[in-house]
Amino acid sequence: MATVWRSQSAFARLFAGKTGQILNNATDLGTKLGPGSQSAILARKYSNYAHSPFVTRVKEQYEYEIVKNPPEWAYVQRLLPFDTIPAVTPKESYPSGWVPPKEEAKSLPFFLSRTRNHEIPIYLHITFRGIRKITKIKRIEGDIWLMNEEIKSYLKEKNNRYVETRVHEVGRFIEAKGDYVNQLVEWAHSKGF
Amino acid sequence: MGSRQITEKSLSMLRSLPRISLGNIRDNPNCRKPAKRGRAQHGGDKHGAGNKGSGQRQNFMRLGYETGNNPFYLRVPQEHYYRGHHLRREYPPLTLHELQRMIDKDRVDVNQPIDIASIVKSGIYNFFPDQKQFGVNLTDEGADLFTAKINIEVQWASELVIAAIEKNGGVITTAYYDPHSLFLLKNPKKFFESGQAIPRRMIPPPDAIEYYTSAKTRGYLADPEEISKERLKLSQKYGYNLPDIQKESNYQMLCERKDPRQIFYGLEPGWVVNLKDECILKPKDQELLKFYNT
Repeated sequence: MATVWRSQSAFARLFAGKTGQILNNATDLGTKLGPGSQSAILARKYSNYAHSPFVTRVKEQYEYEIVKNPPEWAYVQRLLPFDTIPAVTPKESYPSGWVPPKEEAKSLPFFLSRTRNHEIPIYLHITFRGIRKITKIKRIEGDIWLMNEEIKSYLKEKNNRYVETRVHEVGRFIEAKGDYVNQLVEWAHSKGF
Repeated sequence: MGSRQITEKSLSMLRSLPRISLGNIRDNPNCRKPAKRGRAQHGGDKHGAGNKGSGQRQNFMRLGYETGNNPFYLRVPQEHYYRGHHLRREYPPLTLHELQRMIDKDRVDVNQPIDIASIVKSGIYNFFPDQKQFGVNLTDEGADLFTAKINIEVQWASELVIAAIEKNGGVITTAYYDPHSLFLLKNPKKFFESGQAIPRRMIPPPDAIEYYTSAKTRGYLADPEEISKERLKLSQKYGYNLPDIQKESNYQMLCERKDPRQIFYGLEPGWVVNLKDECILKPKDQELLKFYNT
């Protein structure tokens, strides 16, 4: 299992090297030496591991039943990781505050696509030890300048003051000076993105 | 080969090669000479070790020693609330709001019992068993908006969280897993590929027994009748009508629990899962069956 080779933690050292082999709470019950093979080992003491002969007559001691197409396979499949991030099935309500994108947003002159995690790509960048806060809107498609104007007027109306923005046409993002993540997410929801 | 041929050959090679950039050039062979340790009057001086003291003699003092000063690590008083920190269990938090968001975005399946394996599978929560982390602490942030009806198994939960889940007709269990089991639950696929038999789950350590046998905390070792009493008590304390889960359509799913020795739902200790051939190897030997059932 998980390898913890270079961990500094004393606790983790308990698992170092061991996790790939036999688990602590299991026993090595897979194979057992037959009587002949044991006597071969005891007959002579080998000082060197490299010179000792191979142990022969090792047999599988325990019987296993191999079940093909077992009914429990559904439980195994449930544990396997997703191949891709699952698509969201439409629901009546989303109590957590997550809002699905609307179809009508595609007719707007600009578009904000969702991230692979179905979230709106608006982030807060805090730099200079928390002094500078910049809200970044990424993944903009279409008329970025028109979107910039709309954002500016929306933020001015909400906050009763001018908010500076910066448009990066090639990078397809807009940055607003200040922490306006919640307001801009609300705006994006109102537009249907 | 004449020089013209060499030029043509080089040019034809250049056509097929990628464009030269800082990423794929390197120095001419033998153009860098390693510095030599100088000898004699003008080069054989200190060789970077400095003059006098630890530097020159390479006998460095032990860590924290301040040449006779009262050392910094002894100067401040001891802080006893850190005593035993290397043994304490840690439960990284997951809020009810995050859990609801996972459910809304179909990262966890509500129609199946939720345990730490399915929470980690969602990709939104992660934990590290080798850093003394023993599983999920479900916290009460977003308890008011939580509406999902689930059968969830976490490692730590507060009273309010239990109330928030039971109010919606859900079921919550707190269960202990030893670190080895947590490695399996964190990445079941990796474990199945290793070809080992699923081990047994160990019982909780002495200081955790009380929590996991208590019906108030919905411990997995508690008496089920006590738990149903406590469910009613909690609903009266918080003032909600306890939904009768026996009348639910998914009553079977809500009743599903793991055995105290079981790590994965539906898979018993001792089984070997073969992902390649899609088959399960079940032990038949009495000795093995006895071992895995105790």
